Amino acid sequence: MKHLLNKGVAYFTYSLLIFTSLDIMANRGEEIAILSDKNNDGFIDSSSSMKMDLINKKGDVVSRKLRFRRLEVPDDGDKSIAIFESPRDVKGVAILSYAHKVEADDQWLYLPALKRVKRIASKNKSGPFLGSEFSFEDFSFQEVEKYKYLFLREENYLDKPCFVVERIPLDPYSGYTKQIVWIDKKNYLVQKIHHYDRKFFHLKTQLFKDYRIYEGFFWQPHEIEMINHQNGKKSVLYFDEVKIKNGFTERDFSQNSLKRSR
Amino acid sequence: MIGEFIVDKRHFFNTGVYDQQKAHSSFTFSPEVFLENSEGIFHFKGKLRKDNEDSERNLIDIQELYIINILDEREIKYGISKEFWGVTETTHRVDVINQTDYTEAFDGEEKLGQPMIKISYERKWGLLDIYALFGFRERNFYGDKGRLRLPISISEKGVIYSSSSKNKRTDFAIRWSNYFDNLDIAISHFSGTSREPIFLPSHEKINALIPRYDVIDQTGLEIQYLIDSLAIKAELISRSGQGDRFSAATYGFEYTQVGIFESRTDLGWVVELNHDDRLESSPYVLGTRLSFNDVDDSQILSGFIVNNKSKEIGFLLETSRRVGECCLLSVEGIYFDDRDEDNGQQKLFQAIQKDDFIRAELIYYF
Repeated sequence: MKHLLNKGVAYFTYSLLIFTSLDIMANRGEEIAILSDKNNDGFIDSSSSMKMDLINKKGDVVSRKLRFRRLEVPDDGDKSIAIFESPRDVKGVAILSYAHKVEADDQWLYLPALKRVKRIASKNKSGPFLGSEFSFEDFSFQEVEKYKYLFLREENYLDKPCFVVERIPLDPYSGYTKQIVWIDKKNYLVQKIHHYDRKFFHLKTQLFKDYRIYEGFFWQPHEIEMINHQNGKKSVLYFDEVKIKNGFTERDFSQNSLKRSR
Repeated sequence: MIGEFIVDKRHFFNTGVYDQQKAHSSFTFSPEVFLENSEGIFHFKGKLRKDNEDSERNLIDIQELYIINILDEREIKYGISKEFWGVTETTHRVDVINQTDYTEAFDGEEKLGQPMIKISYERKWGLLDIYALFGFRERNFYGDKGRLRLPISISEKGVIYSSSSKNKRTDFAIRWSNYFDNLDIAISHFSGTSREPIFLPSHEKINALIPRYDVIDQTGLEIQYLIDSLAIKAELISRSGQGDRFSAATYGFEYTQVGIFESRTDLGWVVELNHDDRLESSPYVLGTRLSFNDVDDSQILSGFIVNNKSKEIGFLLETSRRVGECCLLSVEGIYFDDRDEDNGQQKLFQAIQKDDFIRAELIYYF
């Protein structure tokens, strides 16, 4: 009986230790995510042009071009506009997003042929973006509050010492059940993400390359690669003409402003 | 300069009720220029259309020719333009700024350019657009040789206006819109010559109608409310000046299933009901859209329109995809089923019951 009781106490102590350490791991994971998120604070606004290569299994490439503008919103998620330039049939189509910290983002779509601004009703952003391996979700801003974190380990990735953190999306509409994120210890920049689908399969790997620094603090990866392990396809985003502090205002990110984009 | 060149071929399965031909084709050329800087925008878009059978479908139109001047307090648009109002998908009740290019698409989605000055104020309380609309454009109709035509031919001569300034009247419109979390709302008012005519029998020609364009006052309300991924929509109007005051409404919902059967394909649903004080029936529409989310952006649209009183059914199936980087190909088929029985109800499809067709359209972008 005493033996059993001892065992019980030992088990209790042990599980307490585990829970405490899990707590510590969660806290540490979140701290790293916060530091990584704080990295670019104070950029005010940014603009860039993007080329997206869609590469199939055989290696055939088709390209898409778009322009991107973003506005930092204090105490809420950022506002952004993506305007499509090619292929030609979607030229001028634009997507306006208001990201929010916890609740679902607001999105509007502008269709220039109909001159119509349409609210996107679907909260489900797991669908493919412009036929690529990126989903709409991969394009939205990764607000810290949208995930639960767990610090996993430290390890080198491409000779860079990194923190490895697991994050679980809190959004019930997310297409992912978990993501493993590699963040470098020196600058707290995301280097790699493994995305796990609803069946917990490792569906996609996202690589962040060619980070360049603007105005001494704003880090921008100039190449983001998304590899889909299920269908063998990949999509690569190349950034160009990156500029921060353009002097954009709230008005440049209104539904009405969409009608002026082309 | 950029633009589009469109080849459109339509094949009808039967000779028309009015002996119209089976094969129709048309060509459309649409050049476009868009310039912008931080203070403003210049936009030009023209449209030239040539039809091989129905000369009433020939068109020369300036769709857009305007500048927008962006000021600190407001934004002003001067020139010819198109303006869309509304939230529903199948019928556009409140959308009154532009005349419908009826012969381009009989669903009323295509519009003609309208000369205007528009002043926009964007504030915390929403967006306010104020319009002065200069001059009026008649609606175009299919000619006697055209398919999908009305049962009686429309006379071009002797169009009647209730305004003494005829088609030179300056019309006014105002619209306020805003959104509050999941609710989008807009209220509008239009005072001017109705874009939609009523028809009077012609005194000069037997079996012909003359369009009459009355001066109307129309107040519109647009509401959209989002519940998760479901959008509930309604458009309501109340119009005076065209006989007795009447109201009309379109209401329904739109819902999208993202990634059906664990694939990349999205399936969207639209159900919309119509009410119009002037009609006995209340037709409804059920539509679906399959988006394959592939590199070529392949889609399949289908829709049923059902006239609840006469039991007529129209069915549409449309598929489209990108071809290379320059082109877009769409193929659509429309079938009208009126069951040929006379149940004593107002028929919507009587004149077009033999106008089932298949259409292929190729758009080349330059």
